Amino acid sequence: MKTKRRSFLKGLLGVGAGAAVVPMVANTATASGNKEPSDNHMGMFYDATLCIGCKACEVACKKANDLKPEYGNYDIGGINNLDSTIWDAPGDLSVNTINIIKLYQEGETHSFIKKQCMHCVDANCVSGCPTTALIKQDNGAVTWEEDACVGCRYCQMDCPFNIPKFEFNHYYGKIVKCQLCADNGLLDKNRTACTDVCPSKAVIFGKLKDLKAEAHHRLAADPARYNGQVYGDTEGGGLGVIYLSKVPFEKLGLPKLKNFSYAAVSEGVQHTLYKGMIAPIVAYAVIVFAAFKTLSKNKENH
Amino acid sequence: MEHLDPKPTGGKIFTPPILGMLLVFAVCAYFLILRYANGIGTVTNLTDHMSWGIWKVIGVIVGAALVCGGYACAFTVYVFNGWKYHRFVRPAILLSLLGYSFAGLSLAYDVGRYWGLFNFFIPKYWQGNSVLFEVAICVMSYILILSIEVGPSILEKFFSPEKADNLAAKLHAFLNKVLFLTLGFGVVLPTMHQSGLGGLALVMGEKISPLWQTPFVSLLHLISCIAMGYGCVIATEVLFANNYKDKDQMNLLGQFANLMKIFVVVFLALRWIEIIRAGGVGLAFDFGSGYLDAYSFWIEMLLFLVGLYFVWSKSAQSSAKNIFFGGWLIMLGGSLYRINVYIIGFHPEAGVSYFPSLPELIISIGMVCLQIAIFITIVKLFPIITKK
Repeated sequence: MKTKRRSFLKGLLGVGAGAAVVPMVANTATASGNKEPSDNHMGMFYDATLCIGCKACEVACKKANDLKPEYGNYDIGGINNLDSTIWDAPGDLSVNTINIIKLYQEGETHSFIKKQCMHCVDANCVSGCPTTALIKQDNGAVTWEEDACVGCRYCQMDCPFNIPKFEFNHYYGKIVKCQLCADNGLLDKNRTACTDVCPSKAVIFGKLKDLKAEAHHRLAADPARYNGQVYGDTEGGGLGVIYLSKVPFEKLGLPKLKNFSYAAVSEGVQHTLYKGMIAPIVAYAVIVFAAFKTLSKNKENH
Repeated sequence: MEHLDPKPTGGKIFTPPILGMLLVFAVCAYFLILRYANGIGTVTNLTDHMSWGIWKVIGVIVGAALVCGGYACAFTVYVFNGWKYHRFVRPAILLSLLGYSFAGLSLAYDVGRYWGLFNFFIPKYWQGNSVLFEVAICVMSYILILSIEVGPSILEKFFSPEKADNLAAKLHAFLNKVLFLTLGFGVVLPTMHQSGLGGLALVMGEKISPLWQTPFVSLLHLISCIAMGYGCVIATEVLFANNYKDKDQMNLLGQFANLMKIFVVVFLALRWIEIIRAGGVGLAFDFGSGYLDAYSFWIEMLLFLVGLYFVWSKSAQSSAKNIFFGGWLIMLGGSLYRINVYIIGFHPEAGVSYFPSLPELIISIGMVCLQIAIFITIVKLFPIITKK
């Protein structure tokens, strides 16, 4: 019993030593800096102070991506018996709506906000997807590939913006999200549907590098117009869609995120524990040796 | 200690409890047909925000941890030379094999694009950075390893020790010869995927409450699954091999209860250090947050603490009743811990919550019934359980 207990304590010590590594790795993952967007990365820049809420981008998006309208039940000026199957009036992002303009209003202040996939530089969905169904393309678009997808919905669980939607009511559903117009061919022509039609140039398309420069330029030129920050510069390790606004971003439903991507934390731990598969192979060898000893010692009563 | 061999427990196969369980499974099968015909949304309460429900969290993550008896036994008996516990290995391994197979099945009806599961066998789809990929591969390999470990007890039915010259006997001898190689995988793979089942939470970042999110979340899953594994062995042995007259068995189970106690204490200590470090203590007392977090947190703590109380002293560890309830409470505590990480403490957006629908529950319960029915039947027919 004595030796037994001692070896057990040794085992616990081993587990403890392994445990000490994990937070160290988590720290280095965040300290080593975020992934830098490449010069080829395309993106979008939405300036909420310019948006007039016309929803032309919603219409263009549905048209370009062949998405169904969502009929809302709307009470307009007391008349609520209007035929509700006339207007496309989605309440939020869904499998039929991958781009939406929402209104934030509180007292006198109001602002519009555009929501779609953020095309993160170091995307959680890309990191989490077990079968490479989500890919960060060379041009910066985060795209979903039908053939690869298992439908495990891990992307929905790890996206900080809750962007990927799943067709729950289809027997073999798909994940639906903004593909930065990669699927409909517009991206290859250096265009996207929503930015093409925006009448007030509130949302523009371009190289992410140039868009960031433009955002900082606007911020510096007229600081009173904005809340002082470019959302997407560092949030979640950097986004492919950046925002300017007067109203604090959290009020517009853009979550306050750390300045690193949790994909980096997760991969940091994963890569350290399984570097070259050395740790598992050594563990296997030790266990096989111990098991061999135990078995040969106890052969007579086996 | 006298030497005992495992024997089939015998008896009628289709007893009323077994028929009852099969009936529940029949209802479950009906809803499964609906699920495959019309989609997951028609039978579940899953939404785009709360997209992992009980099929994944209870069916896979909790299910795999509950049957960790095979893992706990393998390293206690073979790695730490606890040969005296050898009699617990067979039922534990069989239960693990069933549990893991059903976890795999649960995944097969949970995933939306089930043919895509074959992508795990096609190298061009492999995604080495994904914790879920690692878990999937390790679980699939472990099911294979468990089958090899269970193999001998099934094969023994087909030859007698006196006339051991048929194919079954030869295969049996071969499996025993390479047992030490199999065991290596039988310990390494669960270590990898049980920690991985916790590691899945890491990338979800701040969507999980600081009461549960920590860089140690994978280690916490690993430690608690071992405690649950001991609990599982104790619960199964008391139920199936039980006769309180067998002093040897009670004594050994008491020692397992002590090991379980050590792992739970380490788990709780690490758990509290991490909650304090993450500044989550206030959340534990925030009963008016509109979320169930604080309530569920204390129920989880209570299950662990009462479980510990049942097995705390040496004299408590010698009581069958104490270790049985202690084992169950620790298993429940570990289960609730996992549900808290992935469902209760998971807040993708304000005001979003999830509770399983009736068909969703029935499918899960039906699958558990089928699993238990198969386990009982195998125990009746094959030499699994060792008792006086």
